[in-house]
Amino acid sequence: MSIITARSLTKTFLVSTKKPGIRGTLRHFFARSFSRVEAVDCVEFDIEPGEIVGFIGPNGAGKTTTLKMLCGLIHPSYGQALVDGDIPHLRHSSFLKKITFVMGQKQQLIWDLPPLDSFKVNAAVYGLTDLEARKRIHELANMLDIDDELKRPVRKLSLGQRMKAELMASLLHRPSVLFLDEPTLGLDVNAQIRIREFLSDYNKKFKATILLTSHYMADITSLSRRVILIHKGKIFYDGDLKKLTESLSPSRSVNIEFHNIYPRQELEQYGIIEEYQNSYVRFLIPREKLSLSLTSILNRFSVKDLEVTDLPIELLISELFKHGKTQNVNIGS
Amino acid sequence: MKFFRALKALLDSQYALMLEYRVEIALWAVSGLLPLIMLGIWVEVDSSNFVELSNEQITRYFLSAFVVRQFTAVWVMVSFEEDTLEGRIAPFLLQPIIPFWRYFTSHVAEQITRIPIVLLMLIVFFIFLPDTFWIPSLLHILLSLLSIILAFWVRFLIHWCFSMLCFWNERASSIERLLLIPYIFLSGLVAPLNVFPNSVKSIAMFTPYPYLLAFPAQLLSGEKVNIINGFAMLIIWGIIFLCISLFAWNKGLKHYSAMGA
Amino acid sequence: MKDKIITTLKILFSFWKTSIAIDMEYRLNFFVEIVSVIGNLSGSIFVLSLLFGPNTTLGGWSWNDSLIILGLYTILDGFTTSILQPNLSRIVRHVQNGTLDFVLLKPFKSQLWLSLRVISPWGIPAVISGFILIAYSLAVNSRMIQSEMILLGSLMLLSSLIILYSLWFLLSTLSIWFVKVWNTTEVLRSTLVAGRYPVSAYPNFLRIIFTFVLPIAFLTTVPAEAILGGVSNVYFIGSLVFSIFLFTSSILFWRFALRYYTSASS
Repeated sequence: MSIITARSLTKTFLVSTKKPGIRGTLRHFFARSFSRVEAVDCVEFDIEPGEIVGFIGPNGAGKTTTLKMLCGLIHPSYGQALVDGDIPHLRHSSFLKKITFVMGQKQQLIWDLPPLDSFKVNAAVYGLTDLEARKRIHELANMLDIDDELKRPVRKLSLGQRMKAELMASLLHRPSVLFLDEPTLGLDVNAQIRIREFLSDYNKKFKATILLTSHYMADITSLSRRVILIHKGKIFYDGDLKKLTESLSPSRSVNIEFHNIYPRQELEQYGIIEEYQNSYVRFLIPREKLSLSLTSILNRFSVKDLEVTDLPIELLISELFKHGKTQNVNIGS
Repeated sequence: MKFFRALKALLDSQYALMLEYRVEIALWAVSGLLPLIMLGIWVEVDSSNFVELSNEQITRYFLSAFVVRQFTAVWVMVSFEEDTLEGRIAPFLLQPIIPFWRYFTSHVAEQITRIPIVLLMLIVFFIFLPDTFWIPSLLHILLSLLSIILAFWVRFLIHWCFSMLCFWNERASSIERLLLIPYIFLSGLVAPLNVFPNSVKSIAMFTPYPYLLAFPAQLLSGEKVNIINGFAMLIIWGIIFLCISLFAWNKGLKHYSAMGA
Repeated sequence: MKDKIITTLKILFSFWKTSIAIDMEYRLNFFVEIVSVIGNLSGSIFVLSLLFGPNTTLGGWSWNDSLIILGLYTILDGFTTSILQPNLSRIVRHVQNGTLDFVLLKPFKSQLWLSLRVISPWGIPAVISGFILIAYSLAVNSRMIQSEMILLGSLMLLSSLIILYSLWFLLSTLSIWFVKVWNTTEVLRSTLVAGRYPVSAYPNFLRIIFTFVLPIAFLTTVPAEAILGGVSNVYFIGSLVFSIFLFTSSILFWRFALRYYTSASS
């Protein structure tokens, strides 16, 4: 049984358009012209309990709008979402107690007071007893490695500490479905890693389902095996992250440092030469020819050092969106 | 010369900004209805035995007061507090023009945006009450225009002085509520000065308040008024608050840089 | 049902504890509020005395009776400072910053949350001085205070509080469509100033507006009449009907508006 299903989920916004300048302003004032924007266009997917799924797509692709429809903040224009048997936008309190929505660029903590005061408010709203609340605060604080900071006013906290406190406030009621929109936005690498580890722990410990969007591919690669690619409101890939990488880059990058300098023409038969600097050469070799090529290189030349890598996924995906080569990714899904 | 070019550029950009806010400005202009409400009640009061103003004069006075109030609106304390709270003041301080002019031009730009809105409101008023329509003489219009400009300048300086408190206390704009009380009751906004008891009136005349509203309104409505005294008081108060504000600005800046905010 | 009300009250109580803690950080406000209540009240009494002049009535109201109206106005002003202003002016900011999301995601009635999330102690001086003014005026009048009048008066006061709240909330709801409606509530507040004086003191056409369009008559004049024992049945029932109607509309309108909420992303 899937915990989240989306069927023909669509959201259309009416956007008023205005030309610059006084004349544009006047025209805008009297006769407003609207255009329809399909922020999310007939999106369909199923997510199983306990899965961690990453949403990938450029800005304005419709990732956040999809998340907001799934947690009930906005009404879909068409289609239906079902989260653990509930229709999100009815916002029944039993449903709201099962989910949480963390937004990297918005915060719910009370700015002038320590996070603990905000936690108390949330505990009361979600109907936790004092004892339960204290236990959970302690538990989450341990998992996130934060302690005394919770007694300082929020405005005095660093961005990373604030995000940890935000997470605690959002998870106090122990939701089983987590929607995370850019949870690591603006954090330094250490804090990002910390948050990732925490989410992974939380997922394992409470069997929680997690949907997240992030601009940092590292968040997605380290957390989720399954990704959903959205572009201009449409899904064009839904499946295994590894398969996506393979299909996006049929070749692997091979860096070799030779003991001697070999002429370029001699090496060209093994793969495309991307870089050629004296004894250092970088090849691009198709996956299926990889083992064969490597064996013959090792046999024929004297190799000092050898490294095989994948192209960074960020690069692959940004290339993909730039060229809009959506038809190339039809595998797997 | 460079200064004026900078001033003009500031004014242009603020005007473009204010055009974006025109709906809010229109609503704000509507919220300045108090003189018209007071007009209603004063016209209805059976005042023949104690006010030497005819109903026609009362109507003109409050209508004029309405116009004067529209063009002397000041909100610098609120925006200054917001800017200090949100840390926008620091980059302003790095610019080669003091922030005073930024706020000043934003007020002027807002008033330019207001002109058509106020005209529209007056037209609506006169359509409903055509009997009250009158056109002041050119001299009165020019004199009151000058007094409105001076009154705005003085009121702006007063508020600017108190804005400097934001350097010491981050929620200083609540003081504005206090500044508003004598303004409402002593400036002639809710009652013409002529009906004040003599003792209260003579005290009021020593404060800047009657000159910020009643004096320009009387000029515009064509009432007899001591012109020289009015302008002299506006200039004197203007100089006094200019001195205070220069002093307060320097003090505040020192405090601000000492805090290392 | 009873349990639900008790837990709701408990939650509200925990809200207020945090909000009062924040307010106490800004002690300057306390001073400002006290001075401004005293200043506004004496200013209003002064203007009232100017309006009376040598006359003994204003729109048919005696001096002492119009003090009751002023007292009621001051109470409403305190209510505004304590509850309406701190809560409802926040709705606009919630919509602007997109933090309304958090309110909507809580398992708690969003309208209740938005209306009673915080409570500011700074309106208390106004409420107290309003009651003192009413008590003073009744005492000077040496009227027999009947429990019936008190009951009717309190009922009308309650009804006027509901009317004021509903109007304010209806206007704030508009922010779902037009983000910056901060100034519409300012328009409301500025016209409410008219409630300092009896409605009968205004010219006819304003009286009609103040009764049917902007129900200022129901805010101060009608409750004052009820306290003095002179409220007509029509106004009494009118006030109740009006408050129930506006309150229901505020709930329905809010539900309707949420369908159009798009949730700002940045």
